[in-house]
Amino acid sequence: MPTYLARRIGQSLLTVFLTLTTVFLLVRLAPGDPASAYAAPSATSADLARIREQFGLDEPLFVQYGYFVRDLFTGDLGTSYSFHSPALDVVLDRMPYTITLAVSAIAVTTLVAVPLGVWMARRADTRRELGANVLTIAGQSMPDFWTGVMLLTVFAVLVPVLPASGFTSWSGLVLPTVTVAVLQLALISRLVRREMSTALASSYVTVARSRGVSESALTWRYALANSSVPLVTALGTRFAALLNGVVVVEVVFGWPGVGSLVVRALETRDYPLIQATVLVTATLAILVQLLVDLAYPLLDPRVRLGKAA
Amino acid sequence: MAKDTPLLDVADLQVELITGQGVVRAVDGVTFTVRRGETVTLIGESGSGKSTTAMGVLRLLPEGLAVLSGSVRIAGRDVVADPDAARAVRGRTVSLIPQDPMTALSPVHTIGRQLGDALRLRHPELTRTEARDKGVELLGRVRISEPETRWKAYPHQFSGGMLQRILIATALAAEPELLVADEPTSALDATVQASVLDLLMELQEHTGIGMLMITHDLGVARLVSDRIHVMKDGRFVESGSAEEIVERPAEPYTRELLAAVPRLGTWDEDESSYGDGDGRIEPLVQGATS
Ligand SMILES: Nc1ncnc2c1ncn2[C@@H]1O[C@H](COP(=O)(O)OP(=O)(O)O)[C@@H](O)[C@H]1O
Ligand SMILES: [Mg+2]
Repeated sequence: MPTYLARRIGQSLLTVFLTLTTVFLLVRLAPGDPASAYAAPSATSADLARIREQFGLDEPLFVQYGYFVRDLFTGDLGTSYSFHSPALDVVLDRMPYTITLAVSAIAVTTLVAVPLGVWMARRADTRRELGANVLTIAGQSMPDFWTGVMLLTVFAVLVPVLPASGFTSWSGLVLPTVTVAVLQLALISRLVRREMSTALASSYVTVARSRGVSESALTWRYALANSSVPLVTALGTRFAALLNGVVVVEVVFGWPGVGSLVVRALETRDYPLIQATVLVTATLAILVQLLVDLAYPLLDPRVRLGKAA
Repeated sequence: MAKDTPLLDVADLQVELITGQGVVRAVDGVTFTVRRGETVTLIGESGSGKSTTAMGVLRLLPEGLAVLSGSVRIAGRDVVADPDAARAVRGRTVSLIPQDPMTALSPVHTIGRQLGDALRLRHPELTRTEARDKGVELLGRVRISEPETRWKAYPHQFSGGMLQRILIATALAAEPELLVADEPTSALDATVQASVLDLLMELQEHTGIGMLMITHDLGVARLVSDRIHVMKDGRFVESGSAEEIVERPAEPYTRELLAAVPRLGTWDEDESSYGDGDGRIEPLVQGATS
């Protein structure tokens, strides 16, 4: 186990580093010049050159990369061009909002999608199941800004019970959470439905039924426990994706998370800020994946003896 | 229940299965009874409707995909007419020994959890510890060695023969009057087959339960049965005592089944013949290989 963990952490660090390197190169190779984004409209080419020099962008690419790697190992990701403060701090300030939204969206998704999927599995191929399927898929297919704007219109404008924008109180969390959860519902509930249908039709459920185990115990204890590995994998993957920031939803609701920060960083070609964002979100996503993998042996004893080697 | 009421009384049972290719009449009007202390065997080639009969009797066929008619009285209660009666008798009056032991237990729950649950369903007043003690004793009775240690093990840590004996223990937890055994030995190799059959017969001798045995192996049928019904295409083509069927088969179909035996290895009463299977166990310590 300790060797497995060490190897996984080593792999994770390497993945984060390679991702950062790729982003470092891509932003610099893409067309566009940070200097012109920060210079006054009247700036001369001498002014632009001075700004580039100030940002360290006048050096050859590999020299810039050398400095970047050197600073990276001291935890310095440079100064944000637009915020004029350490880029990493800017990102970390936003993280609590993104994490809050991701946790609450995944929690709501789980609380709705799991019972819904179980219900669909128990009424497989009936009309009501079809109805539930159509609704969740419609939810998934709607563009997220549209869901967001609809919810805003209804609950913040027509019936103003919830705040429209920003995070001033916990009620500000409701609309963004619902918007994000609606997008996940179809995926997770259909996964639960599929896994539960397989489990409920399996031999061990029939045999348990033959010894008098109640239908609710068969469903919630036998079948759901046997569906937990794919369920936790899917929820973990969705959660990791949400930690990267939910760009459109954050913009629509003025949510001060990483998603809206990324938009701003890209618009202003704020290289240090882009890099710091990638570092933080990639690290978190990989951490979530690692936790999911570590949970497998707890969920399925067969993994314990098989894969741990 | 009157003294002469059969444990199981099946009259003109028909089962229609709704499949992708249309409706299949898998069981086409069978009639038989099983009394206390008796073993009645359904024998027939693969696909002749034996499992459908057994699962129909227990009402374990998928609701909506199987249509039952006729009557199946378990200790006097008709489970075809009344699904609640089926729920009431399962795990109390009747229990099942399934065909494939490898898939018959939940892979993510311990043996103890599943056996303990079966015990507590029958005796809700038992505490967890009491259920455990009783379960460990049951495991001992089906000759699982070191039952205290194995209580915490998972199904994948056992061999097929051991799992089948654990399933017998689980079926016995219900203290049933009737056991339905659907090919209880066909997934096992020959020496283990003999030990499991031996165990079932010994249990029957001690408890006097009735048994509905399903097999496609006349060698098995001859050993255990009081009466044999030979099944083909959902019907009984021939019925009689074990001796009649084996010594004087009337139907060519039965003679064909006879020609296919004996597959069962030497009948070995010596316990050492399956002691070996017992001695082997995969590492129980979690993460032992890391
Ligand atoms: N799930 C199923 N789907 C389609 N046909 C089935 C299914 N189960 C059983 N049958 C059909 O029902 C008949 C009896 O099957 P079964 O009772 O399993 O036979 P046996 O146990 O004697 O081998 C067979 O003809 C088989 O094709
Ligand atoms: Mg069968």
